[in-house]
Amino acid sequence: MTGDDYKRGATPAGDDTDRTATDGGAGGTFETVEWDDIDRAGPSRRAEAVWILVTAPWLVCAVQVSLQFLASLASGGGGGGGSLAPLPVVGTVGPVAWVGSALALGTAYYGLRPLRRSRIATLWLGFTGVWLAGVSATAVTQLGDESGLAAFPLLGVVTPVDWLWLLTVAVLVRYGVVPLSSNRRIARYYWRQFRRNTAAVVSAIYLVVVFVVGIVGARVVPEPSPTPGLESQPPAFVSVPSYVTGVDCPGGTRMEGGTELCQGSLAHPFGTTGAGEDVLRAVIHGMEVSMQVGLIATLISLAIATAVGLTAAYYGGYVDEVLMRYVDIQQTFPTLFLFLLLAYSLGGSLFLLVVIFGFFGWGNSARLIRGEALQRREQLYMQASKSAGASPFWTIRNHLLPNVSNSVITAATLSIPVIIIAEATFSFIGLADPTIPSWGRIISDGQGQLRNAWWISTIPGLFLFCTVLAFNFVGDALRDALDPRHGGEES
Amino acid sequence: MKWYLLRRLLWTGVATLVILTVTFVLMDLVPNQRVLEAQFQAAQQGVDVETAVQAERERLGLDRPTHVRYFDFLQSVLQLEWGWSYEYNRPVREVVLRKAPYSLMYGLPAILVSTVLGIAIGLYSAVNQYTKRDYVATFGAFFGISIPNFWFGIVLLVVFGSVLGWVEIGFNPQLAENAAGNLVWLDTATASHPAFIGEEVDGPRRVGILSPGNLKQLILPTVVVMTASIASVMRFARAEALEYVDADFVKTAKAKGVGNWRIVGKHVLRPAAVPLTTIIVGRILGLVLFGAYVTELVFGIPGIGLASFRAVLTQDTNLVMITVLLPTFLIVLGNLLEDLIYVVLDPRIDYGDR
Repeated sequence: MTGDDYKRGATPAGDDTDRTATDGGAGGTFETVEWDDIDRAGPSRRAEAVWILVTAPWLVCAVQVSLQFLASLASGGGGGGGSLAPLPVVGTVGPVAWVGSALALGTAYYGLRPLRRSRIATLWLGFTGVWLAGVSATAVTQLGDESGLAAFPLLGVVTPVDWLWLLTVAVLVRYGVVPLSSNRRIARYYWRQFRRNTAAVVSAIYLVVVFVVGIVGARVVPEPSPTPGLESQPPAFVSVPSYVTGVDCPGGTRMEGGTELCQGSLAHPFGTTGAGEDVLRAVIHGMEVSMQVGLIATLISLAIATAVGLTAAYYGGYVDEVLMRYVDIQQTFPTLFLFLLLAYSLGGSLFLLVVIFGFFGWGNSARLIRGEALQRREQLYMQASKSAGASPFWTIRNHLLPNVSNSVITAATLSIPVIIIAEATFSFIGLADPTIPSWGRIISDGQGQLRNAWWISTIPGLFLFCTVLAFNFVGDALRDALDPRHGGEES
Repeated sequence: MKWYLLRRLLWTGVATLVILTVTFVLMDLVPNQRVLEAQFQAAQQGVDVETAVQAERERLGLDRPTHVRYFDFLQSVLQLEWGWSYEYNRPVREVVLRKAPYSLMYGLPAILVSTVLGIAIGLYSAVNQYTKRDYVATFGAFFGISIPNFWFGIVLLVVFGSVLGWVEIGFNPQLAENAAGNLVWLDTATASHPAFIGEEVDGPRRVGILSPGNLKQLILPTVVVMTASIASVMRFARAEALEYVDADFVKTAKAKGVGNWRIVGKHVLRPAAVPLTTIIVGRILGLVLFGAYVTELVFGIPGIGLASFRAVLTQDTNLVMITVLLPTFLIVLGNLLEDLIYVVLDPRIDYGDR
């Protein structure tokens, strides 16, 4: 594959008549298949038998317990959910233990097959396993018990949004950071393209800072809490008349023209809200909320849009027709107004917002990706894959998807800013969860005090504006760097 | 082509049905305000709560099977019988008719101006690509799409209201009405007019929708609603026009000595307008309507958006439903209109395909 490959590329196609591209393999010959090696790579008979011996009773118990659980749910009525039946030897097995043992069995099964698997793939498999286990445990406790969400050792209570957030960050690392760091040459090429656009580079740095400060800050900095006496403190280096603020004034007071002025202090660099919450802390916590909403909802919607768009384009015909008609129907109800109605009837929450925008906001992206995939479908590599007997899933995953990834990224950059603004807007009008420290909520807190305390609304708003602006700049530059149709145009 | 139009109209019907069904299901989940009230009263008076609730449900027709109520709902919405608003204590239709003019007062100019200006700037930018003015316009567009409507409104109010004192922070709806409280285009009023309570007024002053005072307080909301849409229209117009700026027919026209204006108007705008209509209606109308919703909240304009927001707070279900359905139907209608305009704009479209 090394020197020979290079020569093959260098010689004109007409020269090597005995080594045409169709016969495959490096150097024009097929690779020898070592069937013995492949046989040896599979799990041994004995290990498999032991695994089956353990799994079978587990499955029987699991089915029995879940049936009893469902029955108790059905008959229990208002009794606050069902109860888990005890088993003969082990007694009552809690939901977490069930999921944990399932995970152990699954890992054992995969461990039995020492196939060639890279370290990254193993890590990813481990992570998804743990994630799935955690999510199922949370779901089980929430469905079966009214006492609240499951508490985990070390982590404590993990909310549904946190689970999704964890997955989103992991996906970003797995499919963004890891490929770029392992494939330096491509990474350098993208960087050279991207670097031309100074605004985008500055924006990207800003976004990384917001992302990191948001994630770390939300865990390190305590949540802002109302503090009596510290209401409406001005930001550092600004002073306002004392009657505007609460009774305390950590920055000290001074007299000017007959009125007592309260000076801002570095204890509250961005001042405090009308309820005495520190604006800086609120801004830091708001960073994570904005990132969460924008990235999680976009990840969900892109996953669906890609699956739908590629399936429709690959199969065509009736599949295409049905999927795209569904997209039409879904798009008749604008997501913003749909969420408005849902928030009214069910009560708004961050989770609902993410889910609604994730599961109902993918129509435009699906159309975009389908349009691109329709062109790629006719390419020779698609035909080659099909005629080599590859399954539709394999062909879509390994040939169609990588070739439309530009469209996927374009769709992402279009959807993130819209969702972030939507979340802030719903928090502003008070239709989102009021306990979440969103920028929109702080802006609405300060709306009544525009005349006296301008900083409450303007500072979080400035961060919101800059974040959205930065996403737009980065998105524009990414489109230029990745999209061959626009490549080189803007230089 | 008739077949195409027929299919398009049928599709609009389907879309309407989908929207109404989703709304019905969601609104069915909300506990009925009247029933809760009856329950509360029964509990206070010591009457049997169960029977009181049952009686109230029967009186409101809630005990009927779901499909009967569903068809009843469809019928009443389509016949414009939108129920009773408990907050305003009058039919929802009257409330909407009373509030709509205030939304139109700034909404219509904003949509018209932003469409025309957006396309004009976009075309200009495309024709003068990579010049300084193009960069300025592009940067302006980024600014416009990135700034959240509600926050922009607040900032403008702080700057022009609090700091400079050029405009009033509160919106005065009476400025558009005559002394009897009806909306008029232009009229003169005396100091006894409710809009001028607490002000020193000497001599008659003008009131009405077109009066200077009313127009002045409409400037900021119009600007806010306009900013976002003008930026989106401009970006899309620029992108679409760029596809045609270097097209062969444009070069031919230039070679024949056709003037700049004519090239832009006739050879670039016309082909670019076809995809543009889709984008303007499909993507921008929804954003504009939603942005307007929040803008009314910031400026305190008593239009549909503010009414809807207050209805959400006071659990006035009928009003919430209608105020959300109205913009949604506007979008459906806009989509229909857009497809009909297609026929005029691009004779090449193959109707059999769609």
